[in-house]
Amino acid sequence: MLSVLNCLKSRITTPQRLIHTSAVQCRKQAGRYRPSIRGDKPLTYEMANGPHQIAHRKSWNSWNTANLEGGLRPAETVVEDLFIRKFMIGTWHSLFTSEVIIKRQHNLIRIAGIVKRSISARKMYFLIGYTEEMLSLWLQCPVKLELQTVNDAKDVIYKHI
Amino acid sequence: MLCNSRYRLLRIVAKFSTDASNTEFRVLDLRKGSSENANQGRGRFQKRTEGGPQLLPPRETKMPIDQDWPSVWPGPRTFHPASVPLPVRQGYPAKDLAAPPGKYANAELMKIPNFLHLTPAAVQRHCQAIKRFCTPWPSELTNEDACDKYFPVQTTTCDYLHSSPSIRDPLARIVTLQVKLSSLPLEGRARDKFLRLVQERYNPETDMVTIVVDRCPTRKQNLHYSHFLLTVLYHESMKEESWESEKSPLDNELFEWQTSASRAAIDGLAVKQKLDPDYIQLYSEALTNLMNKGEDQETLADYKESALQLLGHSRN
Repeated sequence: MLSVLNCLKSRITTPQRLIHTSAVQCRKQAGRYRPSIRGDKPLTYEMANGPHQIAHRKSWNSWNTANLEGGLRPAETVVEDLFIRKFMIGTWHSLFTSEVIIKRQHNLIRIAGIVKRSISARKMYFLIGYTEEMLSLWLQCPVKLELQTVNDAKDVIYKHI
Repeated sequence: MLCNSRYRLLRIVAKFSTDASNTEFRVLDLRKGSSENANQGRGRFQKRTEGGPQLLPPRETKMPIDQDWPSVWPGPRTFHPASVPLPVRQGYPAKDLAAPPGKYANAELMKIPNFLHLTPAAVQRHCQAIKRFCTPWPSELTNEDACDKYFPVQTTTCDYLHSSPSIRDPLARIVTLQVKLSSLPLEGRARDKFLRLVQERYNPETDMVTIVVDRCPTRKQNLHYSHFLLTVLYHESMKEESWESEKSPLDNELFEWQTSASRAAIDGLAVKQKLDPDYIQLYSEALTNLMNKGEDQETLADYKESALQLLGHSRN
């Protein structure tokens, strides 16, 4: 008892520096997928490679010169790309099986991607024309849609985890 | 009910008659789709058959090997697997010893820029097409010296290409004007004044005067301003102001033997005793070197040697 009291006393009187030390948790979660219990979660190539693999195993989804040294309009380009992605996802609802790829050359915007053939060709042609027309009107520059079609969403699956 | 059964009978008859022309043995199919097409219900919404809608085979399978490729792929375009008859693969294999992902349904191939429109044949065709807009090279400009002689002023501007809707770049306004100093008819005092005016814009190694103009907002204005600057510099150098005669030898940037006190002293000495003109020449060169290049072991030794020779105290 006495020793405990002494110990307490010494703790109160002597100055102490209390530093909480523990291992740093270098957990990275963004853009990564947890394996499922059965190991049957389908991943595309884009999903299977994490953000750290950009420029190693996969490339960027936006191609432009805005963020290079001396590039113009970096902020506007990002906002426009966000808008284009939102528009594409909403207009081509549940049709895109890949990310929306936006490539800019001079004032031309090329939008590429892989879509499912679950709607008729007529509807798809209408959607292409509609998208190009509306985006050209809003962004004030020519927009081209260059799509590839697949029969099934399974065609773009790279692996299961 | 009666009406309905009659309608069905009519449909059967109609089916019977259409099939008659195609098949030899006609089968009366009372319940349409009962045995063969089990998955095709009679409902309004039919389940999509396996394999999707009937599609033509990819274009690449029908391409002849000697086709005209520049007309198949005339301009820059995102990669399309059905149009490119090459067994291209891209990506990292999912498992070891597996092949990389193929070209169909491969988004990676659609991302990277391709140069399928820049085949040698396409480039040659393009050059042929724009050839009629080219003019022959002037026959007088046979070599680099002739170019410098007839076009002494060199103007450099930069155009910037961005992937953005704007074609403007503030850096495009900058104009660099270069002129060889020897191409300007400047001698002695005028040349000295010109060099004093342009300061660090003159490169003595290449004999080039470089004027960079970026103060005006447009390139055209900057170009005019650079021409104006060159004109003004030249005319100011040619002009001799009254105060320029007040320049003393000490203001010279380089030592000059002809106007120096040393020459006066040597001339005075030459009156009293005979001096070898060759040695005077050597002495003047050594002294000029010493004053202009600075004191180092070599120039000092040269100076000492020439002075001793001049005064007849050479050790040789």
